[in-house]
Amino acid sequence: MANELAALSDELAAVVERTKRYVAAVDARPRFYSSGVFWRPGVIVTAEHTIRREEEISVTLADGAQVAASLAGRDPSTDIAVLKVEDSAHEAIPKAGGPPKPGQIALNLGRSPDSGVNATMGIVSAVGGEWRTWRGGRLDHYIRLDLTVYPGSSGGAVVNTAGEALGISTSVLSRIAALAIPTGSVDRVVDEILARGRVTRGYLGVGLQRVELPDHQRGLIVLSLEPEGPGARAGLLIGDILVALGGVPVAETDDIQGLLETHGVGSGIEAELVRGGTARKLTITVGERPRRN
Amino acid sequence: MAGFGEVAEALRRATVEVRLPESRGGGSGVIWESDGLVLTNSHVARAERLQVDLWDGRHYEGRVTARDPRRDVAAIRIAARDLPAVAAGDSSALRPGELVIAIGSPLGFSGALSTGVVHSVGPIAGMGRASWIRASVRLAPGNSGGPLADALGRVVGLNTAIVNGLGVALPANAAARLVRDGSPPMLGVTLQPVQSGLLVLGVDPRGAAAASSLRAGDILLGSYEELGDALDAGDEVLRLRFLRGDARRVREAYVRLVPRAEAA
Repeated sequence: MANELAALSDELAAVVERTKRYVAAVDARPRFYSSGVFWRPGVIVTAEHTIRREEEISVTLADGAQVAASLAGRDPSTDIAVLKVEDSAHEAIPKAGGPPKPGQIALNLGRSPDSGVNATMGIVSAVGGEWRTWRGGRLDHYIRLDLTVYPGSSGGAVVNTAGEALGISTSVLSRIAALAIPTGSVDRVVDEILARGRVTRGYLGVGLQRVELPDHQRGLIVLSLEPEGPGARAGLLIGDILVALGGVPVAETDDIQGLLETHGVGSGIEAELVRGGTARKLTITVGERPRRN
Repeated sequence: MAGFGEVAEALRRATVEVRLPESRGGGSGVIWESDGLVLTNSHVARAERLQVDLWDGRHYEGRVTARDPRRDVAAIRIAARDLPAVAAGDSSALRPGELVIAIGSPLGFSGALSTGVVHSVGPIAGMGRASWIRASVRLAPGNSGGPLADALGRVVGLNTAIVNGLGVALPANAAARLVRDGSPPMLGVTLQPVQSGLLVLGVDPRGAAAASSLRAGDILLGSYEELGDALDAGDEVLRLRFLRGDARRVREAYVRLVPRAEAA
């Protein structure tokens, strides 16, 4: 007796069987393990929020071997942490070509040292364009999942039915659903962390709020200034209304975040502003956002 | 070729409700053999005599014929024949990602169905060394003792608990062992883990330990897992080391285990 359901069931189990070797259990917090994925040879990516200690991290691989891992860097803004292991011969998970489509079947694969690989199944419930997380990071796509990411499976591999990675699973970037951190965004963060040990983010040291000007133009009024911050040093004053940055009009604080990604730390950026009804220009040297702990 | 609807309906007809007399508690069960053998969780079958309700509204009085509290499974006999029994699957062949179906009476809804996939198979912290199936199926109180089946409707487990939101099921092979071998040897004591070992809260006067020197208040040395291994070793007499009062003086007790009874 065979039915379509049994055929689908076999196919899903086969995907898990094929893909499980790329998934490791990560021991970096008390009580719960989390999961991580061989993203490049010798490089494991996991969810940043599951890393509670920066030393004495170990990972359990598919063959049951427990090996030491070092934390190469972490980026809370995208919930990505990068671990390095000695086993540089270990192959990396294949990645899906483009973003998934809503309705597509997805599996989240995790691992625990006791019971090996684990899986949950559901669908991709929404796919959007570029999206900024509440922690300030930028993701290439917003990929919402209708599947449960249990505590030990955060940081696991979200894969399609071909066993290709759609991203890394996280339960903390959205209050309403689990998300997949898209592969392109993971690649970008991994590149930066491997090159510099961290993800630098541009910083102006200003507190802004949107306002409408009498000519219906929009702008951002400076409400606070970090003493000796990049904005203050460039001569910005409280009450100035920022209307353009780097030649691009700014109407939302998100616009600033986006622009700071293309203007690296240390570079100069031209700010157009209105002060006492008069248009002015200033050049601000972009600083680096201080690290929160 | 049976479709999903047929598979679900066949399972629903082989699922029973198990009720305790004069109590609101209860759970689910599964018709294992068509001549009246029903399996459920040991924590559902809390009395020796129970009421078993079939899908078609028939009620039977059931009698517990075997139980294994460590694996949380009990066998109940009802006086009925030609019942729609389930086909048992091989739970050792389960793979993470396989589709599974759970049926039971969660929160009093008879024959409620939920689906999901096998999450993982292996031991669970705090539940001994033995293997359990974890499945991402939505369960609620009342599902206990009901079937967890694969895509072909073969029963691969008995839904037993919910741990961190995940359904936990006893593998069908372990349930079949109770039917084949009868009740495993039991000490007949209630234990609570404490720092130095396992505190004896009570000794069942009808149990194996009643004839030994063990008493309530004694502390058995070792863990649940070690005690479980000793019981599984198959020896007729079990030597237990325990403390009473003086924490430096280790005492010994010998318990003659009752051999397995047939689960007739």
